[in-house]
Amino acid sequence: MKRSLLHSTFLYVAVILVCALLVFPIYWLFITAISPPDQLRVLPPRFWPEIPRWNVFGDVMSDRPILLWLGNSALAALGSVLLSMTVSVLAGYSLSRFRVRGGQSLGLFILTAKMLPATLLVIPLFGIFRTLDLIGSLWSIVLAHATLIIPFTTWMLKGYFDTIPRELEQAAMVDGCSPLGAMVRVILPVSAPGLAATALYGFVLSWSDYAYARTFLTNAQTNWTANLGITTMKGEYISNWGDISAASILVALPVLLIYLFLERYLVGGLTAGAEK
Amino acid sequence: MKPRFSLDLARPSRRHWLGYLLLAPAVLLIGLIIVYPLIVSVDISFQNVNIARLDQPRRPFTTANYERLFTSADFWNAAWVTLKLVIIVSVFCFLLGLGTALLVNNKFKGRSLARLLVALPWAVPEVIAVVIFAWMFDSSFGLMNWIFIKLGFIDTTVNWFSSPAAAFMVVCMTMIWKGYPFVSIMMLAGLQSIPEDFYNAARVDGANTWQRLVNITIPSLMPVLGVTLVLVMLWVFRDFSIIYVLTGGGPLKATQTLSIMTYEQAFGFFKMGYASAIGVVTLIICVIASRLMIGRAPDNI
Repeated sequence: MKRSLLHSTFLYVAVILVCALLVFPIYWLFITAISPPDQLRVLPPRFWPEIPRWNVFGDVMSDRPILLWLGNSALAALGSVLLSMTVSVLAGYSLSRFRVRGGQSLGLFILTAKMLPATLLVIPLFGIFRTLDLIGSLWSIVLAHATLIIPFTTWMLKGYFDTIPRELEQAAMVDGCSPLGAMVRVILPVSAPGLAATALYGFVLSWSDYAYARTFLTNAQTNWTANLGITTMKGEYISNWGDISAASILVALPVLLIYLFLERYLVGGLTAGAEK
Repeated sequence: MKPRFSLDLARPSRRHWLGYLLLAPAVLLIGLIIVYPLIVSVDISFQNVNIARLDQPRRPFTTANYERLFTSADFWNAAWVTLKLVIIVSVFCFLLGLGTALLVNNKFKGRSLARLLVALPWAVPEVIAVVIFAWMFDSSFGLMNWIFIKLGFIDTTVNWFSSPAAAFMVVCMTMIWKGYPFVSIMMLAGLQSIPEDFYNAARVDGANTWQRLVNITIPSLMPVLGVTLVLVMLWVFRDFSIIYVLTGGGPLKATQTLSIMTYEQAFGFFKMGYASAIGVVTLIICVIASRLMIGRAPDNI
């Protein structure tokens, strides 16, 4: 079917308009970062600075402990993803392949756990971590983020394992593999893309957290995560929007890069459960 | 050759010790970091606790926190703010998300780029989204003041964060920008799972674009639509970062949702027992609302 010229012109205009409106705030963050401070406080606003200050990213990294914050965020994300993935891979496989007494109720509980408000869970966790003397330590964040990640990863992985035919394990076991060996040597390698997508999703969840970091780490400056550091910059008496924007870009960059290069996998994992 | 191990995964009833063993670490960890804290929070919601320490002796059982909650004007205000926010943000996320998904589902050059871009804000951390919108709505040199004056919506610069209605609007806009790309992603996945044959058959029968949308697209999207709606509403209902960093719940509690109120009571006033009561009520509302909306098929949440 041939589309009219009018139709396709309208289509392109609409697409460009929607994309521009959506991406503009990110563009504006970038422009704010590379504009010299005196050009931010002018009206009408400038949509491209006369002399972009490209060195702002280096400057803000030497002025503020941004690398430390990024490192802390990375450690917290790595720890919580490792912990969550370990238990989720095993549990997701079990929920997918075995009929276990109580398995269904466990699955239902995990679904309900996704609805837990962080603002509710943060209260008892604060008490528990205080008793264990973990407040201010990155371990508190690793454990708290695991409560966010495990409910997601377990179900994503169960859904992924469900798509892998059982005949694979059968064949491996006929060849003399133990059930555990079949899982480790046959199913896990086949699932590598699904495992990677799930782990990345967990990484994004951890990287984006603010509530737990704000509660457990506020008094431990050396352990601040990136998001917490950014909000302290925003909370200063006179907000230096150029520096805040530059720092924000550095913080958003890892997640944006993951998204841009691995969109297919991430979105696949996100929507896998919804297409049934 | 007979398998050395007698585990037939194709059999309908496949109980096996390995199934339990694999589940054990998850059960243990979930028990320690989710179930136990949940029990603790329900427990302290029935005590008059100010600062939660587990090694302190229990306080006597009391329902005072819940009584205080339901008679408190602040609670009903927060419930009303939450309801308004959930409805406004979900409706806009839905209309915009569905529209965007239908738009980029067309076949045109560069559509994979367009799909990448329309979902981009989903990948921006919430705190960073707040930085962007806080600066765009800055009272003196914010871009939005300038644009709105140019467009004639306002006469002079507005201090967005000191007026209750304006601050509420900025919170809504930030959440819509951050949240609606998720709806687009889900809808697009739903659209792509509709078989092309349906449309071809409808064309043969002479259905126009509008009829195809109403009779094929929307009904086929219903399952995804329902799940996505629940996910978006739960997100708005429980969100903490965006509102807390953007407005802190103010001005005059105009943006204080139940989540923000819970946090304020717990870590602003150290009324841990009272805060837990608000949190427990929030959780109960979440569970009941999502059960009502998706019935007894919660597989996809």
